[in-house]
Amino acid sequence: MVQSKKQKYLFLAFCLIPTFIMFAIFTLYPLFSGLYYSFFDWSGSSQNKEFVGLANYIKLVKDAIIPNTIIHDYFLVATKVIGIMVLALFFAVALTQLKIKEAPFYRIVFFFPNIMSVVVIGILWTFIYNPNLGLVNSGLEFIGLESWAKPWLGDEDWALPSLVLPSVWAGIGLFMLLLMGGISNVSKSYYEAAELDGASEWQQFWKVTLPLIWPQVKISILYIVITTLNGSFIIVQVMTGGGPNNSTHVMGSYLYQQAFVQYNFGYGATIGVMILILSLLTVLILQFFMRRDKVEY
Amino acid sequence: MKGIKKSRILFLFVAMLLIAFTVACSNDEDAGGDADSDSDGNDTGSSEDGGISGDLELQYFVGGYGDSWWKEVIAGFKEEYPDVNVIEHAGPNINEEMRSRWVSNDPPDVVYIDGAGSSEAQMVEDGQLMNLSDWLQDIELENGDKLVDSFIVEPANYDGDVYTLPLVFDTWGTWYDRALFEDKGFEVPTDFESLMSSMEEIKESEGIDPFVTSGQHPYYFLRGALYPAFGAAGGEELLTSVIKGEEGAWTSEPVLEVMKRVERMADEGMFDSGLGALNHTQSQMNFLLHDNAFIPVGFWLPNEMANDIPDGFEFGFIPSPMQAPDETFAIVPDLRPLAIAENAENPEAAKAFVEFAFTRDYAMSFSEHTGAIMNLTEVDLSQSDEVPVYLTEANAMINDPDQVQIYNKPHPMSSDLETPVGNALMSLMLGNASAEEFVEAAEKAAAEYRSSNE
Repeated sequence: MVQSKKQKYLFLAFCLIPTFIMFAIFTLYPLFSGLYYSFFDWSGSSQNKEFVGLANYIKLVKDAIIPNTIIHDYFLVATKVIGIMVLALFFAVALTQLKIKEAPFYRIVFFFPNIMSVVVIGILWTFIYNPNLGLVNSGLEFIGLESWAKPWLGDEDWALPSLVLPSVWAGIGLFMLLLMGGISNVSKSYYEAAELDGASEWQQFWKVTLPLIWPQVKISILYIVITTLNGSFIIVQVMTGGGPNNSTHVMGSYLYQQAFVQYNFGYGATIGVMILILSLLTVLILQFFMRRDKVEY
Repeated sequence: MKGIKKSRILFLFVAMLLIAFTVACSNDEDAGGDADSDSDGNDTGSSEDGGISGDLELQYFVGGYGDSWWKEVIAGFKEEYPDVNVIEHAGPNINEEMRSRWVSNDPPDVVYIDGAGSSEAQMVEDGQLMNLSDWLQDIELENGDKLVDSFIVEPANYDGDVYTLPLVFDTWGTWYDRALFEDKGFEVPTDFESLMSSMEEIKESEGIDPFVTSGQHPYYFLRGALYPAFGAAGGEELLTSVIKGEEGAWTSEPVLEVMKRVERMADEGMFDSGLGALNHTQSQMNFLLHDNAFIPVGFWLPNEMANDIPDGFEFGFIPSPMQAPDETFAIVPDLRPLAIAENAENPEAAKAFVEFAFTRDYAMSFSEHTGAIMNLTEVDLSQSDEVPVYLTEANAMINDPDQVQIYNKPHPMSSDLETPVGNALMSLMLGNASAEEFVEAAEKAAAEYRSSNE
């Protein structure tokens, strides 16, 4: 039966309108109200609001803590992208190519942190880093490296690097599965052909596997960048609260502190706008640098 | 035909979704209007015979003091006012949970302001609390004493007006394990020099870093150890100027001298080396486990950690010994007030409840339940066996001006000043900054705070 034009449009409306409504309620409305509040001096706990124009943005530019929070965020982005991608790729290749018998078991083990709440992971690692009872310091002592033991999360220089490990640990599983999916789609014949041509395993990885799973790699990197810029807040808040002396504050945790601890909700919204702009810019730049023609053999 | 029918159903479905969306997003002004008006008679607060009735919403934070005292008071209140239906909003996160109610101008009637996420100063600034100045003059205690004359510490004064009635008299001081100190013959400090010598002795004999505080919340050390030291060094004048962030207060000579003492503690390794990462409970746990010997916190400590106290542990409390040898001990009371919402729906019942809670009988039971003191004079704690020893001793000490001087702060420090000062303080305690660098950083934070308030 040929559909009439009306029917076609009705069907399109049926598919699009509910989605658009949800999108409007849960994405557009918060986005624009955040933007709106950034022009107000508002404590966030009453109805009194005062329009202050760009005052919050001027404060943002002058705030000496902001540049540090941005640096901390991008430090986490860089270390997480490198850490997660290297390890996830390594495990994915190992579990698919090396024909390990226990592969399904390892897949579950590596994916396990992903089903745990980030808050639980944060608390768990706080105990691991505990200067007196923690696994890290006891481990160092056990292998005779007492001098390396330190109050990891309580040290202004070491607190931020200490947050990288739990973040990487928590992130590997998902991307490993994603990459495994990509690798298993690569036809065996390419590897056979490469082998006949005398390519080593290493060359096979660089010349066959990586180019063919590049779309998955790209998506993984973008996803890590976006979730880190928006979500590193949780692990910081749980493990260090931004301290000591602001040495681990990321943009999100600083937003939280301003909006809900210091009662500067308007200023918090301004920081939120900054996070949005920076995330967008970062993703655009990454898209540009990671664009590659689709490879087909 | 079939196709047309189907498309009609589709159209209906879409239309329904649109209606649902419109309803969900419509402004709830109507609902608010209903809540505000008393015309339906349910919430008027007085029944036909002139008594008090209706719903009474009560918001109270449950932290270190527990909630058993509140349950007792509420049960007593219900007996006295059977027509009032008390609705409790309580818990450790209640300030966050109720925030949307306050923002939407639908607050509870009575609020006990305490715990994370609450700020008395902010609520007054936002006009959320009822002005109690006139009404306070009429409140009497059970024996006819005027309440306004029976506070240990006067209510906070906001340009001559009273918005909150201080209910809990807490004070920060320094805790130690009396049993351990007696057993090992350690010296209980009386001033900063004796604190240092006592800590040196403990460090040597126990092999521990003697002093701990929460590094995630540096204000514990600020309020618990530094405020008393500022009071002892420069009286309420210095304390006030520091809390208000007045120009030159933080870089003044007496403040720098106090901060030099902190620097000395850091240099000589008296602070727990891991304190930077410790939260409130972890630092208290470290203290109970004898990982450290001293901790500056308030009266809530024994009650909050009741389930974790090791056998043989005996709480000892002294005002924080941060003062110079020629100065007396100082304490700075920390008050947790009860207030009535400006937009309370049942102000009559709210007033009745506040009046009901402020009695000397309940003050006695407060100390029994919580191990802390209610802000009323002439409550003889020694008469009860259930009041812990440290509290009767502390109470006696606090009431003896030869031993301890009380310095009142004008109001709590704004978190806009406390946060940056706390951060700089953390750096000083970790040994990454000098006292001079700290006072410069604090002075800068105070300048920013002043300019943000202009």
